[in-house]
Amino acid sequence: MAALLELEGLVAGYGGGDILLGIDLTVEEGSLTCIVGPNGAGKSTLLRVVSGLLKPTRGSVRFRRESIAALSPRAILNRGIVQVPQERSLFPTMTVWENVRLGAYTVRDRGLVERRLAAVGETFPIVKERRNELAASLSGGQQKIVEFARALMLDPTLLILDEPSMGLDPKTRTTVFNTIRSMNDAGHTLLLVEQNARSGLGIATHGVVMESGRVRLQGPGPEVLSNPEIGRLYLGAA
Amino acid sequence: MILVLEAAVLGVLTGGVYALMASGLTLIFGVMRIINVGHGALVVLGAYLSFVLWRNLNIDPFVSLVVTMPVMFVLGVILQVVFIRPLKADREALSVLVTYALALGIEGLLGFFFTSNYVQITAWYDTASFPIGNFRITYVYIYGFLLCLAILGAIFLMLYRTTFGGAIRATMLNRTAAQLVGIDVDRVSAVAFGIGMATAAAGGVVFGITNTFNPGSHYDLISRLLTIIVLGGLGSLRGAIIAALIMLVIEDITAVLISPVWADFVFFVVLVVVLLVRPQGLFGLRVRERL
Repeated sequence: MAALLELEGLVAGYGGGDILLGIDLTVEEGSLTCIVGPNGAGKSTLLRVVSGLLKPTRGSVRFRRESIAALSPRAILNRGIVQVPQERSLFPTMTVWENVRLGAYTVRDRGLVERRLAAVGETFPIVKERRNELAASLSGGQQKIVEFARALMLDPTLLILDEPSMGLDPKTRTTVFNTIRSMNDAGHTLLLVEQNARSGLGIATHGVVMESGRVRLQGPGPEVLSNPEIGRLYLGAA
Repeated sequence: MILVLEAAVLGVLTGGVYALMASGLTLIFGVMRIINVGHGALVVLGAYLSFVLWRNLNIDPFVSLVVTMPVMFVLGVILQVVFIRPLKADREALSVLVTYALALGIEGLLGFFFTSNYVQITAWYDTASFPIGNFRITYVYIYGFLLCLAILGAIFLMLYRTTFGGAIRATMLNRTAAQLVGIDVDRVSAVAFGIGMATAAAGGVVFGITNTFNPGSHYDLISRLLTIIVLGGLGSLRGAIIAALIMLVIEDITAVLISPVWADFVFFVVLVVVLLVRPQGLFGLRVRERL
């Protein structure tokens, strides 16, 4: 598989100091890469750098061999990198349909937007069933599914999911992970950051373990998951 | 009883004008999370622009809006880019200082050009009136109210019927998520500030016909406008409109029933009572309903 996203020697942080201390990571086309690690490992910071919300202090971020480290979030979005953030990101007093339609805000071809709306409605029935309801009226899991639907409106080349199972009950979590796996099966490349290591690595083609701003281990998802040392250190009883 | 009814009608009509001015202020807060304490000065600036066009070119004050609203819109975009956009951290607190400085700057410039003498825009409709039952309503209040209805209607149509309006609403609801779907929040912010200033121009012309004013008139105005948007719920257009109507009706009825001296006081008493009972305002964050 060809490399889609390549991070090399990535250093980044906020005002108080660097959080990422030299990340080397490759996301291959068609893969489902899952990053796990304890709180403070820098997982969400890494995603913010890839999405353009945070500029790195050192290192490179290449997408299809083009450097994107200095690009704006909008320019990165236009290259096909779409992120679903950790916190709930639907616009609560807008309808489900308005929310999903906004996913294609940068698409000027109205016909294409309508076709994608129809396709997303088929893939995620809840979008059609609850289309006229306010997003705030949906449950946490339903909101997450609608966020996925909104992200797919751009037909992303790389879909980034930041802790999609956070705050969800076990049954809803299963639904969300099944949906993630389905999106990967449908050909989408996904970069997933997940606290719930067993669920995340369980569906991943490639697993990455981060700790204190560095990559500690990476390999095929099931191998990382079954590594006894890593499991004991980072995954706990998750 | 007739006096109370008359006061209530006048309160609604004047409240419409305040609703327009406050809607610009709350729109700016909603999109940018900044408290524009210079909004009163911008209303006064709008009033002076119409005053100049009326005095020097004999242009009707309402017709002058064809010029002053676009001018104020462009000026708003420029002010946002120059003064507001550079604020990255601690925007809410810093914005108070920056926009207060802006207000002082505008007051100083207006004082330089017009002195601190009070002026007023006059037109035939600021004294002419027509009867409704047993009392009379001055035409300017009707015209002002209709103007506000038209502009607020246009703003709501834009917000709910256009893609860019959707982008403004999305930015008001979740700035980060708006960025992630590709909305250029800097552009949205600049346009929202421009719209806020255009509404200030429109509010300013009615303010300038119904009041005498000078460069320092913005202090009283901004305290009222801030009261209205806090009462309505910060960032809520609907809340600002309803709060403006409620406050102005209460103020006018108080003036009739008790004394005009108490009218201003009651304005702020209502604010304190509402905040004690419902700190988020009428349409505040608890229900996440901002528009």
